[in-house]
Amino acid sequence: MTDRKPLYLMTPALVWLTAFMVVPCLLILALAFFRRGIYGGIEYTFTMENIALVFDPLYAGIFLKSAWIAGLSATIAVVIGYAAAYAIAAAPSRRQATLLFFAVLPFWSNYLVRTYAWIVMLNREGLVAGIAAWLGYDGELPKMLYTETAVVIGLVYNYLPFVILACYAPLSRLNPEIAEASRDLGGGGWTTFRRVILPMTVPGIATGFVFVFVLSIGNFVTPALLGGGQFQMIGNLVYAQFLTANDWPFGAALSMFLIAIMMGLLTLQTFATERASGARRED
Amino acid sequence: MRGTANPKLMLMILSAVFAFLYIPISVLFALSFNEGGLPTVWTGFSVKWYGELFRNGDIMGAALNTLIVAIVSTILATILGTLLAVGVEIRRRKGRFLETIIFAPMIIPDIVLAIALLSFFSLLNFTMGLHTVIVSHVVFNLAFVCSVVRARLKTFDWSIVEASTDLGAPMVVTLWRVVLPVMLPAVIAGALLAFTLSLDEFIIAFFTAGAGRDSITLPMQIFAMIRFGVTPEINALAAIVMTVSVIILALSQRLNRGGLPGQ
Amino acid sequence: MTESLLSIKGVEKHFGAVRAIDGIDLEIYENEFFALLGASGSGKTTLLRMLAGFEIPDAGQIILDGKDVSRIPPNHRPVNLMFQSYALFPHMSVAQNIAYGLEMEKLPKAQIKSRVDEILDVIQLGHLAKRKPDQLSGGQRQRVALARALVKRPRLLLLDEPLGALDKKLRGEMQLELKRIQHEFGITFIIVTHDQEEALVMADRVAILKDGKLLQSGTPREIYEHPGSRFAADFIGVMNFFPVREVDGKLIAEDGSVIAAGTPLSAGQQGVAAVRPERLSLTIKAENSITGKVVATAYHGLDLQVHLKTPAAPEPILMRLTASDAEARPVAEGDEITVYWAARDTRAFPL
Repeated sequence: MTDRKPLYLMTPALVWLTAFMVVPCLLILALAFFRRGIYGGIEYTFTMENIALVFDPLYAGIFLKSAWIAGLSATIAVVIGYAAAYAIAAAPSRRQATLLFFAVLPFWSNYLVRTYAWIVMLNREGLVAGIAAWLGYDGELPKMLYTETAVVIGLVYNYLPFVILACYAPLSRLNPEIAEASRDLGGGGWTTFRRVILPMTVPGIATGFVFVFVLSIGNFVTPALLGGGQFQMIGNLVYAQFLTANDWPFGAALSMFLIAIMMGLLTLQTFATERASGARRED
Repeated sequence: MRGTANPKLMLMILSAVFAFLYIPISVLFALSFNEGGLPTVWTGFSVKWYGELFRNGDIMGAALNTLIVAIVSTILATILGTLLAVGVEIRRRKGRFLETIIFAPMIIPDIVLAIALLSFFSLLNFTMGLHTVIVSHVVFNLAFVCSVVRARLKTFDWSIVEASTDLGAPMVVTLWRVVLPVMLPAVIAGALLAFTLSLDEFIIAFFTAGAGRDSITLPMQIFAMIRFGVTPEINALAAIVMTVSVIILALSQRLNRGGLPGQ
Repeated sequence: MTESLLSIKGVEKHFGAVRAIDGIDLEIYENEFFALLGASGSGKTTLLRMLAGFEIPDAGQIILDGKDVSRIPPNHRPVNLMFQSYALFPHMSVAQNIAYGLEMEKLPKAQIKSRVDEILDVIQLGHLAKRKPDQLSGGQRQRVALARALVKRPRLLLLDEPLGALDKKLRGEMQLELKRIQHEFGITFIIVTHDQEEALVMADRVAILKDGKLLQSGTPREIYEHPGSRFAADFIGVMNFFPVREVDGKLIAEDGSVIAAGTPLSAGQQGVAAVRPERLSLTIKAENSITGKVVATAYHGLDLQVHLKTPAAPEPILMRLTASDAEARPVAEGDEITVYWAARDTRAFPL
């Protein structure tokens, strides 16, 4: 096969991706360095103001809050997801595929619908309140919907299936004799987990964490629906610059910042994966 | 892994996780059949909310728009993505840059792609509408189709292409009679995946659909309904939307035993 | 080989309806190099895993140093296992892998270091202490796995198909190496293998397992020269079989010739007479003889293997001529020859 043929097959898709992804993204990168016009338009003069504004203390609160919520959601999702993946990997092998299928199934349904389900759950007349009343609790329940907690629950709920998948991959590839070797050499169950299984499955944990963190910090749907607009995340800030405040250059700078966070975390993840590379070569 | 874990603890973990994943969804389904429509009081079984749904012109219009977007973008993405996958896998030299471009649409945060496309279309003075949504959906859909097909081609024995050539078949015949039949399940699986992704996609559609009511898609309609006044019909709508995507994706999974991206 | 270190008494293990181990009794002595030999599915690996503590017997006892250990978990047994896949921890260096088991014993750091260094010398891998397992060759990995188990100075070291992953040449070297190390440390080794040659070369005593039962145990010589059953005779080494029937105290082959054997069959019984290829001779006249046609010869350096088609046996008979014999009396394909062997070298087994 000549080397010309593949190029000819790839051209249509590559043209599409260049026109509707690469160019728009470069455009955003460029926009970040232009000035905002007086009436919301764009003035084509170079400025670093937007970049500086991203690091303005004014927005530090939003950034910290976003990072806190994203970090918390990612941590909780990884803890639950890892435990679930571990339990699936420990199940009889003929049942693992089914368990995994049902763990991932909700991930395939509409994000908005899954988020809406938690409005129903956490509502003052919702299921959680209903159960509390049924259990005989008649005092004032703490407010659940439109809180930070609701947002974290929503994010964990929506991204948990992905974390389970990401953690299951290295766990299922683990040679069972490795864990047995640790037991044989005198390691108890916990020691074996902490010193052998956990370090070998770090790549899955890192993938899951980065995914949840990046998607959470750039999310605007969940804070809008479950947070009730009580607080903003970076995603909401970007949304506002484009749809209400009409400050596109600042919005562009913010999204570049999002991309930078993602790239940074992905680099860290690659590093973690390489460190545990021996674990990956087992298969 | 087996035999190293406490079976009781594992069963507890699985029960808790599956309860967490499935209770909210199940509640929605149950609610969609509740005559009163209220979450707390069960007033009797009824399908009246499903009836209301089909009489609601806004929702039906949005559903039609979504179908148009999903069908057109899936067809385009399947053609482009499949050709891309074959091209990339035939090429012996793997370029890092090429890989990044193909991988990027799957991992780039939706909001970034959404605003990038919004800026792009408006600075070029494109009139936005369903066609811009379609164009945008093809971007990520083709990447997913490509990744499903590539996964299949990874296990493809390229020597059968050489065998076909050796037996005297021209390249076009080889592609049609040897390569395509092997790839077909993966191509269909990729198309089904793209179709549901497109059906459910909200953020990019929200930014690239323009202002008119004519180009509202179903997820945009759902977002508006959740945000500004929840009516009981939404439970029925949610139940339908969820069932449709799960069925299509289960089908895709069946066709493609190699697994979906991310697996 | 003075006193019994390990007694396996009436041990059984079932997996569902499968009787993986079906009542085994075995004594293994201090400082012994013992081989469990069997085909796959014979139960040898299950037995090994019970000794290590990964499976609990459904019945019977495993007594180590006078104490029943059958229910003690693997991490509390003075027994270590060298895994078939080696199971080295991929994220730890060679030295860290070896130190792991000593750290579990909560030994002082300095002592761990000196013991690790010491064993690295024994396996001659001191210069690779900082390498990760994936930077080692197959043979080096095997040594590390051995060192990791050995460094804990267990009462009993179990080896699961230890040479299975190595190529043929390396395997020969490692067989000698394992014997040397076993001598040096004075630790009892139990090796599981499906390779009868490996068992014969390395072990002081061998046990043959079949379908979860112990068929025979003894020194390699006993098992080779006095196999207790047709299966053992066939499984160990190469054996020529002649179908026979007992008539009036004599064994009659299919073509009517009489074969004299060291062991008798009962009156009227059907059976087989068996003789090793190296016991056949062209020149030394003995009780038994058979005439046949040479169908193939194969030169093996040390010897010439001659395949002989005779009416007395359905399969061609194999004989081994030493290089000097073959020179003294050349044999070629198509020749008609007569071979002789002694009655005392002949075993008879009932069918």
